Amino acid sequence: MSGYVGNFTAKIRKKARYVDPTVCNACGECVKVCPVTRPDGFQMGLSSRKAIYIPFPQAVPCSYVLNMDDCLGNNPIACGKCSDVCEKEAINYDDADEIIVREIGAVVVAIGLDVYDPTEMDEYGYTRFDNVITSMEFERLICAGGPTAGHFVRPRDRMRPKRIGFIQCVGSRNPKIGRPYCSNICCMNTIKDCLLLADHYPDVENTVFYQDIRASGKSFEDMYQRSKEAGSRYIRGLPGDVEEDAETGNLTVTVENTTTGKLERHEFDMLVLSVGVQPPKGMGKIAGMLTLSRTSDGFFMESHPKLKPVDAPTRGVYFAGFCESPKDIKDSVCQAGAAASRAGALLNAGQIQIEAITSRIDEQACSACGLCAKVCPYGAIVWSKGEPAVVVEAACAGCGACGATCLFGAITMRHFTDEQLMAQVRAILADKPQDKVFCFACNWCSYAGGDMAGISRIQYPASNRVVRTMCSARVSEEMVIEAFRCGAPVVLVSGCHYADCHYINANRQTVKRMQRLWDQLEKAGIRPERLQLEWISAAEGQKFAKVMRQMEELRKTVTLEEIEYARDALKPKPKKRAKNGRKKSAAVAT
Amino acid sequence: MVANKTNGEVRVGVFVCDCGLNIAGAVDCGAVTEYAEALPDVICAVRNKYTCADPGQNEIKDAIRQHKLNRVVVASCTPRQHEPTFRQCVREAGLNPYLMEMANLREHCSWVHPGEWEAATQKAKDLVSSAVARARLLQPQEELTVPVTTSTLVIGGGVAGIEAALEIADAGHQVVLVEKEPSIGGIMAQLDKTYPTMDCSI
Amino acid sequence: MATTTSETFRCMMCGHEYEEPVEKGEDKERSCPKCRSNSIRHLKKKKPAKE
Repeated sequence: MSGYVGNFTAKIRKKARYVDPTVCNACGECVKVCPVTRPDGFQMGLSSRKAIYIPFPQAVPCSYVLNMDDCLGNNPIACGKCSDVCEKEAINYDDADEIIVREIGAVVVAIGLDVYDPTEMDEYGYTRFDNVITSMEFERLICAGGPTAGHFVRPRDRMRPKRIGFIQCVGSRNPKIGRPYCSNICCMNTIKDCLLLADHYPDVENTVFYQDIRASGKSFEDMYQRSKEAGSRYIRGLPGDVEEDAETGNLTVTVENTTTGKLERHEFDMLVLSVGVQPPKGMGKIAGMLTLSRTSDGFFMESHPKLKPVDAPTRGVYFAGFCESPKDIKDSVCQAGAAASRAGALLNAGQIQIEAITSRIDEQACSACGLCAKVCPYGAIVWSKGEPAVVVEAACAGCGACGATCLFGAITMRHFTDEQLMAQVRAILADKPQDKVFCFACNWCSYAGGDMAGISRIQYPASNRVVRTMCSARVSEEMVIEAFRCGAPVVLVSGCHYADCHYINANRQTVKRMQRLWDQLEKAGIRPERLQLEWISAAEGQKFAKVMRQMEELRKTVTLEEIEYARDALKPKPKKRAKNGRKKSAAVAT
Repeated sequence: MVANKTNGEVRVGVFVCDCGLNIAGAVDCGAVTEYAEALPDVICAVRNKYTCADPGQNEIKDAIRQHKLNRVVVASCTPRQHEPTFRQCVREAGLNPYLMEMANLREHCSWVHPGEWEAATQKAKDLVSSAVARARLLQPQEELTVPVTTSTLVIGGGVAGIEAALEIADAGHQVVLVEKEPSIGGIMAQLDKTYPTMDCSI
Repeated sequence: MATTTSETFRCMMCGHEYEEPVEKGEDKERSCPKCRSNSIRHLKKKKPAKE
């Protein structure tokens, strides 16, 4: 994937099927002769398939596919049987992957989910006891198209279980195993399972162990109550332990019933682990390709949780379904519709305007070092060794990380130029700087956090003076130094929390710069504490006010002598900024 | 790139908003206006009751014409609220919208420093001074227009991907649907019945 | 497997100094375990951690 909004190029690997779907009529003769047997992934390994197979009867395209990892090959001594019986001659052992290139205007990311594998939660015995299954395996066992043709049996002895226990929140809402989030769908899925079982087998006894039942969707509560009326028991408390009776294969769970506060033991014929969901494998790869960010849970981060819930921070990319957050089918369909509509609006417009806060590189001044290309979160700067860097304006989102990084003053951030920001620093600190708390705040989070403090009328000392940049990464070392040079007693750089960074991860550059600045200040004999860093979100008016109070306290500890010393210590630099730049300019000077 | 209608001379107009009593209740707006007038390159400083209302906006437009202003500073509320309003306002008066700058005297000053008349007024002056310093160096900017390829890539052929692909196709656009498995359907195809309707997944 | 080292950090707000295992290439927001400040300075000098 490359390019930018409205103008992406996608390189797609079309995997070899080894069976031509336009010719295959799904007669199934090939399957009869194939000698290779493998676990059937679609049936959760509860039945087997051949090396040549159709994923499931309703598959689209409705065609067989040959798994080359399983196939013995077409060497006549080895095999080649399927090819012999295929009247349509649809099988081609020499089929190869194909790379397709497409020009794309918009992208909808709908990469779904992975189901949690409960192997690590050994207390439930999933790997040790045959009759402990997952909710996904349950789906296949009760499905008419499943391995048992819908006759619900337990794996160990193929007997129909009568007493069935469900354990909720397996791999969800469990910070101990690093899965603090609610998977959203498992409560309702279990309620559905209970209703299905009660419908198929009136003598069944369902027991559900839960922390909370979350049945907040339309008509969900009604289903919950119906399942209770149908005889399902709900016990508040998650089992701590599961034991198997080696003879019968029955399972006994020990659970603290948190409603009664008593320890209970329950025996079941079968146990279903209501497994949670997780971001799919390969998500990081997609995130990297499209410069998307992820929340602490690993799901994709939307542009704004309330106002832009289907837009990715990268323009022209939209989310649908589970990959944005756990949601059920209805919500996935809703979001897919919204994503389609957002994509449609972009495509219908035919053209789009890019806000003029973008970076420009002066070819003459550029030293072709490539630093700017490295820090650009959007890959909007094209650079190859020895060539001056070039900004792809449409891909540039305007964070300014490049401008603050350039050692040669070759980058102009339009509408937030060095000169403009420096002029603000000097103007604010022109008079009585010792009384002022000098702050840089990013537009999207910390400046907005200041607005939130205002809207909420949260008072804080009036000593603070804020200069707004689009991103904290726009604040160059030189700007901070200039503030101290102008007599600022303290300086605060503030930006978005890691997960909220409006420019994917540009604020990581802020952190690096702060480390260098603290080192630099210390080296110059200036208390590094006079420079502070805070992440303040748009919602954190309280934190904004608190930080301003702390900064004011800190300001009071800075003496006039210290301020004068810093002015002096930072003044006589021969030429701006860090190592390379200084060396080069020094060489020029001599 | 430099706006040169006035021979390179920078002419700033500052508009200080009372916002009813929202700002004027905690900040001496008269003193701020007076202070602004004395700043370098400031041609005129005007105090408004509500700068964002039509009369306030008209005052900006009139001043731009009358004083040949080529930079405008609005000292009112947060740019996160009214920057689009005032950009449009100066555009209507013939100025490039990027030549307008705001000073946040409300959310960042009057609302958080009530009862601190002196300190809040001093802060307001600094914020205006900062905005004027920045405004003097503002340049007109043109927004880049780029064409859009009318084709969409949908990554993932589960229920969300299929639905999105169909909707976009129904709207008359080309769609490329990419799925890593041999068949579309995703996890949903593996489910038996689905809630709340208890019907089949496929 | 990612390599983990023990690193020293100092909070620039309250002065609290602490050690924390850091995975190579990790991308983590830091805050002071004592005062929650984000002014966390990474002090140089790395010691290899025991596996």
